[in-house]
Amino acid sequence: MLGTKVLSQRRHIGLQKLSALAGITHSSLGPNKMYKFIQDDINGESALVCSCFRIFENLELCCAVGQLVYDTIQAHQKVYYTGSGCLLFLAGAWSRAALECLQRGISISQIITAMSEGMDICLNVCRKCSMSIEDLGVAQSEGCTALPGLGIQVSSQASSHQKGTKETGQRTVPTIGHRRIKLSRHFCEGKSENVSTVSQPAQPKRPDIAHIAEGLSHGSVSAMNLVVKASYVQSKCNQQDNICSTFDISKVVTCLLPGLPEECACVLPGCIVLLSDEQASVAHSLKEQHLKVALITGELSYSYRHLGFSRPAGIQYVSYQSALINSSKEEEWVVRLVAILLNLEVNLILVGGIASEKVIQHCCRHHILVVEKVKSSVFKTFATVTGAVPVAYATQLSKQCVGTGLKVVIWRDLSSRETKPSTAVNILTSGNSGLVTVILTSSVHGKLQALEDQFWACAYRLHHALQDRALLPGAGVTEILCIEHLQKQAKHYAKHCTQMNGDAVQHSRAGAAADHCKGVVLELLADGLIDYISTVMVNTGKFSKVKARTVVNQHLHDYNGHVGIAAKFSQLFLEGEEEDRNRDATAVKIYDNLGVKQEAWRKSLDVVFLVLQTDAEVITGIDQNTGPQDDLMLL
Amino acid sequence: MSRVVKKSPSLCTDLPLDNTGICTKLQLLKQLLGSCFGPTGRLKQVHNNIGGHVVTTSTSSVLLPAISSSQPFVNMIKTSILNHVSRFSDCGLFAAILCLTLIEQSKLSALTANVAIKVNKHLLGVCTTYLQREDCDCKVKLDFCSSQNLITLARSVVSSKPGCVLTEAETLQISKLVVQAFLLAIPCDEPGVVSLGKTVTVTVEGYSVVHSAVFPGLLIHITDALSLNKVQNQPLTPLRMVVFSASLAGDLSELEEGTIELHPDADIDSQILDQLLELGKQMVKEEVKLFLCQKVIHPVLQHFLRSHGIIVIERLGIALMEPLIQLTGAQPVATLHTTIPKKAYGKVGDVSIQQFGSKTLLYLHPLKESAICTMLLCHRNETMLSELKVVCQKTEHVLRLTLKEPSALLGGGCTETHLAAYVRQKSMNEVTDAASVFGCSQTEYLLGVEAFCCSLECVAAALDHSGANSLIDLTHAHHCTVPPDAINENMEDSFSFCGCGLVESSPSKKWTYLNTKYKEFSPTPLSRDTTLQPCVLDSFTAKLNALQVAVETANLALDVRYVIQDVN
Repeated sequence: MLGTKVLSQRRHIGLQKLSALAGITHSSLGPNKMYKFIQDDINGESALVCSCFRIFENLELCCAVGQLVYDTIQAHQKVYYTGSGCLLFLAGAWSRAALECLQRGISISQIITAMSEGMDICLNVCRKCSMSIEDLGVAQSEGCTALPGLGIQVSSQASSHQKGTKETGQRTVPTIGHRRIKLSRHFCEGKSENVSTVSQPAQPKRPDIAHIAEGLSHGSVSAMNLVVKASYVQSKCNQQDNICSTFDISKVVTCLLPGLPEECACVLPGCIVLLSDEQASVAHSLKEQHLKVALITGELSYSYRHLGFSRPAGIQYVSYQSALINSSKEEEWVVRLVAILLNLEVNLILVGGIASEKVIQHCCRHHILVVEKVKSSVFKTFATVTGAVPVAYATQLSKQCVGTGLKVVIWRDLSSRETKPSTAVNILTSGNSGLVTVILTSSVHGKLQALEDQFWACAYRLHHALQDRALLPGAGVTEILCIEHLQKQAKHYAKHCTQMNGDAVQHSRAGAAADHCKGVVLELLADGLIDYISTVMVNTGKFSKVKARTVVNQHLHDYNGHVGIAAKFSQLFLEGEEEDRNRDATAVKIYDNLGVKQEAWRKSLDVVFLVLQTDAEVITGIDQNTGPQDDLMLL
Repeated sequence: MSRVVKKSPSLCTDLPLDNTGICTKLQLLKQLLGSCFGPTGRLKQVHNNIGGHVVTTSTSSVLLPAISSSQPFVNMIKTSILNHVSRFSDCGLFAAILCLTLIEQSKLSALTANVAIKVNKHLLGVCTTYLQREDCDCKVKLDFCSSQNLITLARSVVSSKPGCVLTEAETLQISKLVVQAFLLAIPCDEPGVVSLGKTVTVTVEGYSVVHSAVFPGLLIHITDALSLNKVQNQPLTPLRMVVFSASLAGDLSELEEGTIELHPDADIDSQILDQLLELGKQMVKEEVKLFLCQKVIHPVLQHFLRSHGIIVIERLGIALMEPLIQLTGAQPVATLHTTIPKKAYGKVGDVSIQQFGSKTLLYLHPLKESAICTMLLCHRNETMLSELKVVCQKTEHVLRLTLKEPSALLGGGCTETHLAAYVRQKSMNEVTDAASVFGCSQTEYLLGVEAFCCSLECVAAALDHSGANSLIDLTHAHHCTVPPDAINENMEDSFSFCGCGLVESSPSKKWTYLNTKYKEFSPTPLSRDTTLQPCVLDSFTAKLNALQVAVETANLALDVRYVIQDVN
């Protein structure tokens, strides 16, 4: 009989576990990521991983906190493809903060209230110091090299005029063209909504993708270059554009080619697929033709039935002949299928699932190219471009379902190599569909996944930047601003609390104590962010942990409300990070994603809250006969 | 080759409640459930031993099903609590804590099981009679002319589950939404027997709570956004619709266990498909604009219908069928072998597409005012969202219970302390009669009373989890807590209101610690000051039933003489 065990978490083991889990991924934070080998002792397999998400994917964590963290990271990764490391690091740092609070006797509900308030402060800072992407691009293309810090510079200017932002804002308008004053709202406590409308550009300017992408590469320069190329290819498709300004991530596919050096990575318009020799010969014969295409969402085989179809169990076939009933039926089906295809003059079938060997052979004989395992995004694009209607069964095809206007081009013959699918064929639309294939290559097979991850991380960073239409100053500037605001608020509470104690009796003591607690929590929350920045600095290899902390603290200390701390800091940060580049004033152009950062922060705090409030694990399905273990109580 | 395994004899435990093993398990269960209780309760992570999905919760209806024990005692208590929760949704933890404390206290009082059971039963009667009296002092009449009390009641339920991780403002917003959904589900002008409508809950993960909303009509999640190009331009409203409960997957799902013998040339698949397409043609002829199916629809039929401009949605699921039928007036078609009668078709007012985060939803507007509504709940992560969903459904149920009995009980532990004080005082007055009725000494009777009242007070004290002290006020018998470091002199300083918010601290009022003996007194009724409204309310019906379940289960447990287990 299976029973239930209760693992009670005295001493807040959950928070400690969270902190320990976060420790695993410290080195994969920031632009200089380090590879890790994860080895399975039992079967000797190993994985080469680089990102926080892949580390967790390959670790088999069975403790509840580990599972919770993995669920959270997975949910984040599925949408954003980047920022999981930040999420996990802060979850760890803030769980230590929560532990510290508990040790100082602050109650759980107080911690939650104060931390939520702190998060609101941080998210507000993010909103206020975000920069519109249109303005970034425009400033560049107008050649405003005189403005070194770009957005950051302005926000730091504004910070020196905390109250008089309105003037600052207006003064900056002529110099930098249509920069939105939104950036300076950061410091004027929400009163300047009217200001922000002053310089709204009449027409939305197209953002300068190359510039934004450079700032978002976060160390993966080559991956980001591929993203920019992809965007360039897509922009060329929109006829009148001459600068690249669009990026449609749903039309980007990747194709991995092992065995080639990494420099061979490239971007091509169209959809590259790898075909066997037999298929390739069909492709050869179809070259330079305008093809008629059919889209099959299911599998292309006799036995395939759609999802939800249940095969009847109780059917018996009664016959006089005992010969090969099924195979002859399949033969019949294939003949009928080919007849349909020939009748509709289809030359190319794209299949979502797989196609049976028999179908492929028959089609080859009639010079019909069958391409299997086509991604659904590609389906969608081809459906809209060619007018084809995706159907589940090939027998369902009719004239209305068949689309026209695809071409097949042999891209490269890789048949000298021993790998199975040997010819790379490009399927192109005659017009421009915006469909782009990114070829990723590596001579080390195990590295391909990491390269693909990096590519998608970069692609999604750009995608989200364009979606948010806003960016944050990167390289730790946003965090510094948040820390600064958190500490200010913490001091405010501390002062408030001592004043009240001096003033005495009107206010209840409880109120004063609560304020004191809030101050402590906010201070610790800020410490978590300091820890984050200094860890990233350590990962650049230019700082020791101690030095990094000192530098951050020094900068925070120097900030007395009138120094352009943000810009200064980010420059210093860059010193460590990009030593080789010329360290001109123009160097400050590292950005972070607004939405991704906010979401990662909030999610990490959510995990901390859930773990903080948890005092026991209930483990179900325990075999009652196993002996008692430590901490485990059998119910 | 078979082998004979010798059967082990059954295991018999005499006087199970004297067995330390069993007592430890009950103690553990009490700790486990007690620590979940109330707005500052602790959460539990429920998962299996091979690292499956983790559920974080403090709700009894989620937590209890995960618990299974080798000890029938634990399972018995679990089952009776779950039965209560399935009927009344709320007060599951209250019932569990009261039941377990009562067992413990009755054992501590060293009374014979017989006497303890009789006294408990009697006192339960005293409580229920008092609670049902018009002049009961811990009861509030609900006024349906104002939503104030309803919102308070809803908020008390929502805020009692910290796993939702809501801020103060979000809690209020969610409470208002639930009240709104509750009110929408009450049909307005139907003569005769009125049946309540349904509220369907749709969840969207990764979206802020503030986006949660209530919509009259139905929102249906659609996975295949491609199929909806034609939704926007539907000229004719109302739209004619049909809904199938039978599978239209084109298989022989109705075959069940039987066997069919076929000639190999027979192609059943294509014959069924022909029949499906025949059905499709009929739908086109009947000018159906919306074609829904509880189960799977054959892709060829879908394709056919869509090409005729019909909106097709498959895999609705059983849960949506009833609300859909109520909303549209359609009758679900359970077979594809007959022509569909006219009255089986339903109507919707309009359809539109709603996009929330990553989810695309088809919004079916009601044709006329309808008691069907959809509550859209959003939260940042899955764990919090699933807890929020459970809590909202529970809250709506609690609100519905008020229609039967428009009352609520004071929350925050005040009802418990008040009841305890009332019971103490009342039993003191009737001690001589009662003792003779139960055939026990007066001391024994008083011990039983003490155990019962203590248990009630323990439940009130269980609301706190930070080591605070629980106090009872010696005039109205309300309950409040003070931080552990508060010094006796300025105890009144450290709080301003009692648990339910009706009694204000003032120097004239006397308070004492809950666990100390106090002289029994008759709680004086509160002057019904209109300016002071209770800020925490509990469901009357649920709590009354929980009280009965707790005492009856405890009595049954006390009554068990042997536990006999087959260990094979």
